[in-house]
Amino acid sequence: MLRYILKRLLIMVITLWIIVTLTFVLMVSIPGSPFNSDQTSNETVQENLERHYNLDKPYHIQYLLYLKSIATLEFGPSIKQPNQTVNDLLGRSFPISFELGMVTIIVAVISGILLGIIAALRHNGIVDYLAMGVAVLGISIPNFILATLLIQQLAVNAEWFPVATWSSPAHMVLPVLALATGPMAIIARLTRSTMLEVLTQDYIKMARAKGLNPWKIIFKHALRNALMPVVTIMGTLLAGILTGTFVIEQIFAIPGMGKYFVESINHRDYPVIMGTTVFYSSFLIIMLFLVDIAYGILDPRIKVNKKEGE
Amino acid sequence: MKKFLVFLMAMLTALVLAACTTSENAGEEPEDDAEPDTTEQDDTANEEENNATDQETEEKVLRLNNGIEPTSLDPSIGFDAVSWDPLNNLMEGLTRLDQDSRAAAGVAEDWDISEDGLTYTFHLREDANWSNGDPVVAEDFVYAWKYMLDPETASSAAFLGYFIEGAEAFNNGDGTADDVNVTAIDDKTLEVVLEAPTGFFLDLLTNPAFFPINHQVAQENPDWHTEANTFVGNGPFQLESWEHDVEMVFTKNEHYWDAGVVNLEKIHFAMVNDTNTQYQMFESGELDTASIPPELSDQLIDGDNVYIGDYGGLEFYRFNITEEPFHNKNIRKAFAYAVNRADIAEYVVKNGVEPAYGFVSPGFTGPTGTDFRAENGDLVSFDPALAQDYLEQGMAEEGYDELPEIVLSYNTSDANKAVAEALQSMFNEHLGVEVTLENQEWNVFAEAQQNLELQLSRSSFINDYSDPVNFLESFVTDSYMNRTGFSSDAYDELIAKGKSETDEEQRWEYLYEAEKMLADEMIAMPIRYYNTVVLEADGVSGILRHPVGYFDLKYADKK
Repeated sequence: MLRYILKRLLIMVITLWIIVTLTFVLMVSIPGSPFNSDQTSNETVQENLERHYNLDKPYHIQYLLYLKSIATLEFGPSIKQPNQTVNDLLGRSFPISFELGMVTIIVAVISGILLGIIAALRHNGIVDYLAMGVAVLGISIPNFILATLLIQQLAVNAEWFPVATWSSPAHMVLPVLALATGPMAIIARLTRSTMLEVLTQDYIKMARAKGLNPWKIIFKHALRNALMPVVTIMGTLLAGILTGTFVIEQIFAIPGMGKYFVESINHRDYPVIMGTTVFYSSFLIIMLFLVDIAYGILDPRIKVNKKEGE
Repeated sequence: MKKFLVFLMAMLTALVLAACTTSENAGEEPEDDAEPDTTEQDDTANEEENNATDQETEEKVLRLNNGIEPTSLDPSIGFDAVSWDPLNNLMEGLTRLDQDSRAAAGVAEDWDISEDGLTYTFHLREDANWSNGDPVVAEDFVYAWKYMLDPETASSAAFLGYFIEGAEAFNNGDGTADDVNVTAIDDKTLEVVLEAPTGFFLDLLTNPAFFPINHQVAQENPDWHTEANTFVGNGPFQLESWEHDVEMVFTKNEHYWDAGVVNLEKIHFAMVNDTNTQYQMFESGELDTASIPPELSDQLIDGDNVYIGDYGGLEFYRFNITEEPFHNKNIRKAFAYAVNRADIAEYVVKNGVEPAYGFVSPGFTGPTGTDFRAENGDLVSFDPALAQDYLEQGMAEEGYDELPEIVLSYNTSDANKAVAEALQSMFNEHLGVEVTLENQEWNVFAEAQQNLELQLSRSSFINDYSDPVNFLESFVTDSYMNRTGFSSDAYDELIAKGKSETDEEQRWEYLYEAEKMLADEMIAMPIRYYNTVVLEADGVSGILRHPVGYFDLKYADKK
């Protein structure tokens, strides 16, 4: 197991280096500069700015500077917000995105799985159709539309919740609802289909025949196997949601990190592009690694360390 | 096997529990952070009560939206509206725009201008103080201006300082800080020598780039401007708290020399970047002012709570006169005269904007008291017949049977797209010309326009200072802002005189002439002027919104 983890770690580092290098190449090959704006400027001002941010240096020097910044985890000041370092920006915004994302994931997983189980147990019944109707709606309504609807109905008309910003638990309700609906629907559909498959398996029939408690059958024997596909999508889902979502954060004025992914590229804010890329890729790689470990726990037939497996 | 399963279930439960704890921790964290916020939330509650019962407490709190985090509150670095709006209320320059948007006494009580218009001697107020109690001294200006011009600072605003003798040389590395001719004669007297007479120098000084910096504070802590607890200003308000990306809170600055006229006790600047959200917050009473979302423009624009004012700026399209077919003046004119600007303003852009029949936007009052725009009149119009004539003439001159392919480019946005499509159909209808539309991401577009790779491309201009020359000088030979390939000795000379002529009336004559020349050459075609449209809640009054730059809350009040 230890050897497996070490091997995975090495692969992770190499993957990260490839991602960083590709990002750098893409970054410098898109036209434009961080200092383009509609505002008046002149050549001297532009040259001073480029020198200030080392952008007058040849590409290979810039590349080495980036590698150095990644190795030391000091990404330097943002170009768009020169008084903030990339570390400041990410350090401040990630906990907020993480908090929102974690609550969202918990809501989505619990409600999704419950919905899926209920639908599977009442297969082709009215409850099934209702649950799956909700799921289809959840998948097909984009979250920014849902967000706007929620604001209009629950905040402006009903005045139950504040419209936007981020300061109290009440501020969290609407964005969590808007964000959780999509993943919840996906999880519900996945759970339902695998549950249906699992429930027809011989060992479930066997368990029933033995007269086991029906709840025990569902939660202990059926659900655990039905969860495999859910676990599979959890890695990407977690990495995606925990690192913030541009649109929802913008609509609800949540100071999370989602916006940096999009805006850093629009602004050609090179240090922020590098910072967010490294952060997101490491996060995703680690999540996928955890998912692989979780497989082994959920299903002993899957051996993470196949080669040395007994 | 069964044991193993039990073990697995235990593991799973542990994992779920672990996940829950993390989330609980995550939930607790901001609560700790929120300790100081609690008082703030109480404020909110109080204030809501205020709104309801109106007279519980007397505290006047204004809630505004800054859109996003200010780029920087370092006056030399924050070169955009999101930084200028807060800065203009936290600090003050030698001059400050008054209720009529003219440069009036700020930190400087009065000033002497030498006969030749080159030397300005400013007398600083005895009671001008920093928010930490220090007096504002002449050295604070010397320090701030040299800091702005230092190439190491890399200030985007540095070019504004080039009117000062020795400034450009210092900024481009040819000179040193000592060459910049700004001197502190004594604590309260500042002398500035200009490169050439500059009639609008006092206007220029209202720009935050020329704000003083408390040099003692800045020398001790170069990052003084990054957090609320180290920020030292000299304006009507001081920075009470600044939660990055979330909110800034200003309170009245008791050290301000004119604190007596300041009505507001507190200002909250939210940072909500979504136009619909900020409108919803306005609707639910969480904000006192808001902009109008484009889709609601028709419904809201005629309301009683809408403020509409001039804003110094122009939306226009640049011709690339180095390439076919727009190297021909008559073809350029044909396109310019085929545009129905009134329709674009009323039905496409909406929001009460004015169509542009000249380049310099309304709102610049000349030495004789007349508006630049009114005085110089309409320089282009919508005239399909004339447009046809120009086109035939131009095509004959070039020997075209058919125009070369024309691509109209704009940077990707819904608003730009709507205008571009309107233009496309107008060219088709009135000239019989098919143009192809092309949109590009902003940065790609800006680079292509700079390198003269586009034929006909969208542009916008926002004034940096309150003088018509600000826009007109964009088109002098080789200017970074030229982006058309235009070069004319006659025009360059007009602009040079339009900047340095000491007789103001004569100076404005040169500028009138320069603008007429632009229209005659038609190297760019104006579309519409910008304006300021703001929804204001009942009881909000006195916010000064100047045509150039940034708003002023010094006289603002809320009932």
